Amino acid sequence: MREGIAKMTPIVKISNLDKYFGRLHVLKDISLDVKEREVVCLIGRSGSGKSTLLRCINFLEEPSSGIIEVDGVKVDGGEKGKAHRGLVHNIRLKTGMVFQEFNLFPHMSVLENVIEGPVIVKGMDKDKAISLAEENLDSVGMLFKKDEYPLRLSGGQKQRVAIARALTMQPKVMLFDEPTSALDPELIGEVLNVMKKVAKDGMTMLVVTHEMGFAREVADRVLVMGDGEIIEDAKPKTLFTRPKDPRTKALIDRYRSGEN
Amino acid sequence: MNQAGTSQAELLYEAQQRKVRQFRNNVVITWIVLLGLLIFLFSGPIQIDTDFIRRNTLFIASGIGETLNISVLSIVLAIILALLAALGRLSTIPPVYAVSTFYVSLIRGTPLFLQIFFFFLALPQLGIVLPGLIAGVLALGLNYGAYMSETFRAGIASVSKGQREAAIAIGMTPTQTMRRIVLPQALRFAIPPMGNDFISMTKDSALVSATGFVHDVMWRATRVGRAEFNSLEALIIAAVFYWMMTLILTTFQNRMEARLARGDR
Repeated sequence: MREGIAKMTPIVKISNLDKYFGRLHVLKDISLDVKEREVVCLIGRSGSGKSTLLRCINFLEEPSSGIIEVDGVKVDGGEKGKAHRGLVHNIRLKTGMVFQEFNLFPHMSVLENVIEGPVIVKGMDKDKAISLAEENLDSVGMLFKKDEYPLRLSGGQKQRVAIARALTMQPKVMLFDEPTSALDPELIGEVLNVMKKVAKDGMTMLVVTHEMGFAREVADRVLVMGDGEIIEDAKPKTLFTRPKDPRTKALIDRYRSGEN
Repeated sequence: MNQAGTSQAELLYEAQQRKVRQFRNNVVITWIVLLGLLIFLFSGPIQIDTDFIRRNTLFIASGIGETLNISVLSIVLAIILALLAALGRLSTIPPVYAVSTFYVSLIRGTPLFLQIFFFFLALPQLGIVLPGLIAGVLALGLNYGAYMSETFRAGIASVSKGQREAAIAIGMTPTQTMRRIVLPQALRFAIPPMGNDFISMTKDSALVSATGFVHDVMWRATRVGRAEFNSLEALIIAAVFYWMMTLILTTFQNRMEARLARGDR
């Protein structure tokens, strides 16, 4: 169902990305291409730099150096000034982000959360935004809660609303930063199912996750990060059966032992 | 053996409720006794001039409007100044940060009483003569603004980093993020302390009367008290009015807080 990917040009292109936190070198000369409609999972131990890499793509973290390109918008990391801010803004319009802690706006209803971006940032007509929002809320199965406030929702429901909020900005790429890590185990499934659906609808996705099952089942590619570098980049089938790096093997062994 | 339908837990719960009720009843009774004692003291052992009270209560009461007027205007000014000062304090532009901290430091470093006299007595020397009410509102507003800026700053700080990141991620500018995401949540956090400040303001507004230009409850009480050498009675009347205002405002505030807590999402 996802053949033809290889032929397409990359929609996300990261070149020679470096990121320092003070003296700490957290991302080391990372280069990565993601093609349109591709689902890429980033796995790795905590502190390996996978979340930072994701957050550099939409400049929640400013890269120390390197180039980020999303759907033709090319931004030099480490630059400043008005032109730079304009480009960063354009990149943010092309990327949707889903956070570990959901980060729904607590003072707004579910529907208000979802239309906030399109109306305020894109200046979309409110009626149009509402119909688009309702469509997306429906597809994540949350339309029936559209007038509720986030406090009244379970973690899984919050995260599904957060996904609808990101989708309603009509991004080209979705970034998921450990979307199920803050959830009770019994709520993880509903969020993963929504993510599978988003993938099936053809969205380009980068997913930082500890959910090996999801990576194996849904990802087109799995990147393993360790010590600020991409230590392995393979199809899930290859990676899970013949891991090359010992660190990858350790990760997979731990997942296998948890499975039993 | 328990009665049918009454579990151990229910019995424990009821015992606990009984204790709570008993405590509350005892508090109310003691309040009433203390109040009665106070009334008794002034009706027997301490001679007070009831005729004076009858003649002047209305005169003093008619200052309530002015007291509330000055308090409301001052709190509005204070909120605006506090918001600006709090935002200035968070600014990365040095002069803006400096102006904000300078204002807060200067105001908090000098007595409110001095600030009030500054507007009434010092400014006229420079040829600036403000109407009594305006001068009072400026002094109180500036003073409370400096203190309330800390409340707002705490409110803004209470909004999690994730909220800002979510706003930034959907492409909001820093101004949009502040106005639409951070401030609404910060203000909700700041409403209860703001209520407290308003209640303090109604009492601190009495200081303005010392200048003689604002005819509030306190000014009226001291005026008739001094004129007839009945300050005891005059101040008792004023105290009762201030106390009643405080009680009413506190009730309102408690109700508002309860509603906020319920809607806290």
